[in-house]
Amino acid sequence: MEKGGRGAPANIVLKKDEAEDLSGRIHQVPCCVKQDGPASVSDYFKPKLTGVGVDGLPLQQAHFRGRLLQGTSLPLPHGFSGFVLSKKSDECWETSATFRDVTYWNHEFAPSHNDDLFRAFHCLTLSQALHNPVTAEELASSSFSL
Amino acid sequence: MGSESVVPKWASQPCIMGIDEAGRGPVLGPMVYACLYCARSYQNTLSSLSFADSKTLKEDKREELFEALKSNDSLAWAVDVIDPRDLSAKMLQKNKINLNEISHDSAMGLIHRVLKLGVLLTEVYIDTVGDPGKYEVKLSKVFPSIKFVVAKKADSLYPVVSGASIVAKVTRDRALRDWVLDESVKNMHRNFGSGYPGDPQTKSWLEDHKHPIFGFPTLVRFSWGTCNTYFKDGAEVLWESDKTDEDGGNNNSNGKRQLKLSHVGFTTSKRRSEEIESSGKGRCRFFQSRKLEQLTYFQK
Repeated sequence: MEKGGRGAPANIVLKKDEAEDLSGRIHQVPCCVKQDGPASVSDYFKPKLTGVGVDGLPLQQAHFRGRLLQGTSLPLPHGFSGFVLSKKSDECWETSATFRDVTYWNHEFAPSHNDDLFRAFHCLTLSQALHNPVTAEELASSSFSL
Repeated sequence: MGSESVVPKWASQPCIMGIDEAGRGPVLGPMVYACLYCARSYQNTLSSLSFADSKTLKEDKREELFEALKSNDSLAWAVDVIDPRDLSAKMLQKNKINLNEISHDSAMGLIHRVLKLGVLLTEVYIDTVGDPGKYEVKLSKVFPSIKFVVAKKADSLYPVVSGASIVAKVTRDRALRDWVLDESVKNMHRNFGSGYPGDPQTKSWLEDHKHPIFGFPTLVRFSWGTCNTYFKDGAEVLWESDKTDEDGGNNNSNGKRQLKLSHVGFTTSKRRSEEIESSGKGRCRFFQSRKLEQLTYFQK
């Protein structure tokens, strides 16, 4: 992302209702596949629920290119939606699909609350706390405690 | 799988066991370890049962002998079928486990299972491709009460190992024949051949079932060097877990062999981590430790 000129501000058109819902089919894998384009994911990538939970997360297993992946499905926090965007023009991106969860995968290791993606969601809580309007009472009580 | 549902009457007598494998070399399908055991007093009769090294027998003769030994009350057996998915996963994980270790674990697992049944094992004969001396020391350490005979070509030297080789080979052949492919891809076929990399039928099966993104169906052992030759035009895949290897942090005694292994199969050259994942570089620690990068503009 470090190279390339900064274009004119782009519009992002978020549509929730008409777009295809990809929930359960969004995977974050611990590798980068150097190819951009469609692939027959559902024919080859067959996650299986193990029936075991780790850290209270239901454990799934799958194999990709011979490696064991262990993962779990994380619902997006309440009030948030995921969007898959596609470029319409230089100035415009459109919603091509939406999702309500992400299944993320570790190579070899079982998922845990310490994983990056799991922790990335902390940011949402933090951002909410930062951006929530502060009421006069809250302000008063916090200055009192100082 | 095995005859373990009934503990044999002769289990409390001193017993001998033979262990052999089938499907170690093939690039696809499971690897099978099998053991055959009987009372030591049955040894002479066993020698007269015309078990020979399974590789020298025709398939229908092997099947016939397997059925005969299954119905023989003086013999008992057990198998360990190691899934090709597990073979690939173990050999491609960060701390790679090589095929010898996997083999040793499987053989020792069989001995454990039979001992747990209450069988008085006194002698175990094992076929090996690796160094027999080292293997014997390892086995004797784990099972001090058992006398081990580890030998190359044990399957043609000891009838009890020949018997085990028949169990292993028949189990491997049946497992491959009945294999349920994971993938729901049209036009897949089952002419696997023997599975050996040099077998023309296996070669054309691999050619017919390669895939630029997924590699192969999970029946294939991705950790086999042969796989690379089918992937000149496949998409490159960079793994996050490979990126720290360049620190040279791998200083165990297997370092040399493991270094070689990392270039086998679908592991690829090391890259800068930025190519693989976002880093949150330049941001405060909260974001860095969560790999959250700020994106000020989109680029496709």
